[in-house]
Amino acid sequence: MRLFLFAIGGTGSRVLKSLLMLSAAGVRPLDENGKPVKDLEIVPVIIDPHKANEDLKRTEALLNDYRDIRRKLYGNEPNAEGFFANRIVTLREIMSNTSVTLSDSFIFNLGAVENAKFREFIGFDTMNEANQALTSLLFANYQLENKMNIGFVGSPNIGSVALNEIKDSNEFKAFSNIFRQGDRIFFISSIFGGTGAAGFPIMVKNIRQAANLEGIENRDALSRAPIGGLTVLPYFTLEGNKQDQRIATSDFIVKTQSALYYYKNTLTGANDSNVNSIYYLGDQVRSKPYLYDPGEHGQRNNAHLIELIGALAPIDFAGVPDSKLTDPDGYPLPTTAYEYALAKDDLSLNFLSLGHHTRRLIYEPMSKFHLLFLFLTTGFKNMIGQGFTEDAPKIKSDFLTSQFYRTLVDHFLLGYAQWLTEMNDNMRSVALFKPGEIDMAHAIEGVGVRKRLLGHFKVDNDVFKAEMNKLSKNNPAYSDRTVEFKLMDLFNKAAHNIFMERYENIN
Amino acid sequence: MKHLVYLICGIVVTVIFFILSCTDGFNIYEMMFFNQGYNDKMYSLDMYPVIAAITIAVAWGGAAIYYYAINSVKFDRWYHWLAVMGAVAVLAPVICYIYNDTVFASNGLMYVGESIKFEMQTVLFAALLYIVASFSMRWWSSNCRHTPLPQ
Repeated sequence: MRLFLFAIGGTGSRVLKSLLMLSAAGVRPLDENGKPVKDLEIVPVIIDPHKANEDLKRTEALLNDYRDIRRKLYGNEPNAEGFFANRIVTLREIMSNTSVTLSDSFIFNLGAVENAKFREFIGFDTMNEANQALTSLLFANYQLENKMNIGFVGSPNIGSVALNEIKDSNEFKAFSNIFRQGDRIFFISSIFGGTGAAGFPIMVKNIRQAANLEGIENRDALSRAPIGGLTVLPYFTLEGNKQDQRIATSDFIVKTQSALYYYKNTLTGANDSNVNSIYYLGDQVRSKPYLYDPGEHGQRNNAHLIELIGALAPIDFAGVPDSKLTDPDGYPLPTTAYEYALAKDDLSLNFLSLGHHTRRLIYEPMSKFHLLFLFLTTGFKNMIGQGFTEDAPKIKSDFLTSQFYRTLVDHFLLGYAQWLTEMNDNMRSVALFKPGEIDMAHAIEGVGVRKRLLGHFKVDNDVFKAEMNKLSKNNPAYSDRTVEFKLMDLFNKAAHNIFMERYENIN
Repeated sequence: MKHLVYLICGIVVTVIFFILSCTDGFNIYEMMFFNQGYNDKMYSLDMYPVIAAITIAVAWGGAAIYYYAINSVKFDRWYHWLAVMGAVAVLAPVICYIYNDTVFASNGLMYVGESIKFEMQTVLFAALLYIVASFSMRWWSSNCRHTPLPQ
C-alpha cells in the first residue's frame, strides 16, 4: 500500500518533520491486529509556494537524508524492522511512466503560482471595470499585491484561487498515474492560515472529481480513494506587529470557525464521504510566541507538541482497516472524526503524560532512537577496532568518514537534537528526554532504571557494547549485509534487550 | 570449526611442551639453562613435571581468567591482554621458585642463584604458553574475542 501524504503549508512541513523523526525511530503503522502494515510506502508531497520557508527547507533536507540513510540500510525493501523502517519515496522514484517530466523532489512544483503577484496571477489588470470592482471587494489590496513566493500570508481566499492550478501540474498527473486501488491519501494542513486551509479542500475536491479532469489516469481509483486529513487548529501565537497586521493571532479563531463551517458543508459533514477520516488537533495552551514573519524572512517556527501528536494521525490512518474506510463495493464511507487527548494535562510533558495507546506506539522506539543518538555521538567512535566492530562485516575507522555516517550523525541526528530542543523549549514543553543529558540511565524523563540486588542497573555505552558483542558473536545474519545495516540492526536489538531488562516499564 | 582446530592445536602444543619438559634425553628446560648439579637434582627429585604443570596452569588459567572471567568491554584492548601476560610471566616463575626452594630445602639443598637463572626460562615459557592459550580459547569470549588481534 502507498500512502500519499500531502503536507500543505508551514504546518504541513513541520508535522512531516515530526513524522520523519518517528519513522527514524522505527514507529510504524499497525493494523487492527497490532502488526506492522505490510508493503507500506509513504510518498510525501509538500505543497507550499513559499520555497524560502525555513521549516520547509529543514524538512526537505531531513527527508532527503532519511531517504539516503534508509536506502543504504534496506535498499528498496518496503518491509523493514528497526530504525528508519518506513520506506519514504518521492513521486519520481516510483513512477514508471516517463512521459511526465518530474524532478526527484518531495516538493510540489508550483512554478506558475510562486513567481507572480496575486493580481498578475488572476489577470487583474486585464479585467473589465466591474470585475475589478468585484475582485477588490473579495481581496484586500495587500492580498492583490502579495507576491506568492512567500506563500499566501494567512489568506485562504488567495490560496483557494491559486492552488486550483495544482490539478494541471505534472505532479498531480504523476500522482494520478501512480495511484492504484488500495492506496490511500492523507492531507496535513492547518486550518487557521492561508496555504493549508485552502489547499486541503481544493486537493480533496480535485481528487474526488477526478472523473471530470482531463489527462488524468486512474480516475475511478482516485475518486474512490480512502482519504484522511489532519486539520490542525490554532496552537501557536505570534509576536504582535503594530505596523503589519496581515497575519494576526486574534484572527486565528475566526478563520478557524469559518473554515470549519466550510469543511462541514463540503468535506466532513455527517453524510459526507469526501474525507473518510478527519483528525482534529489543537491546543488552548498556546506556544511561546513565534517571531512575526509573514514570509519575507524565511519563517522558522520551533517544533511543537501538536506537530508530534499530529504526526501520529497518518500513522493511525495507514493502519485503519479497509472495511472502516470503504463499503463492500469500494466506495468511501462517510467521515469519521478523531480527536486527541493527553492522559495528563501537564505543561511539561514526558511519556507518562501521554495516553496508553500513544505510549505503546512510541515510547520504546523513541527511547531506543534517543539512546542511539547518545551512543553514536558519545561512545561509538572509540569502539572501532574492538568487539562487534571486528566481526564480519568489519566496521573500520573509515566508516566514520563515510557518506552514510556523516549523513546520519552530522545531519539527521543534528536535526533530531534541534527538534527535541525546540519542542522542549516550547509551550507545552515536550520533555521526553532530558536536554543535554548524556547519562543513558537518566536520559528518559520520568523513567528510571530498575533496581537490582545492590543499587540500580547500569546503562552506558559499555553496556551497549557488551550487548552488541554478544549479539554479533558468530552471527551469520550479517555476513551478507552492509556494515551500516549491521550497526543499526545490532544496536536496535541490543537496545531492545537492555530496554526490557534495565528500564522501568511504563507501558 | 576453525576455532576448534585452534583449540586442539593449542592443546597439542601444550602437551608437547609438557612431554619435552619431562624427558631425559631432550629436555626443553635444559636447552636454555644447564648446570650439571642443579639439573641433575631437578631431574632426580621429579621437579620438571611439576614446574611444567605450574607454568601451564598459570598460563592457561591466566588466559581463561582474561577471556571468560574478566571478559569486559573495559578490558578489551591489546594492552589489557598484555598486562595479563605480564602478570602470568611474573606469577608462574615466582610460584615455581617457591616450589623449587621448598623441595630443595626439604632435601637439605640450597640453589638460590641457579634457581633464579632457571626461572628466567619459566618467564619465557609462561609468556609463550599464554599466547598459545589465548589463541586457543579466545574465540568464544563475548567481549575479548578480538584481543590482542582481530579475528
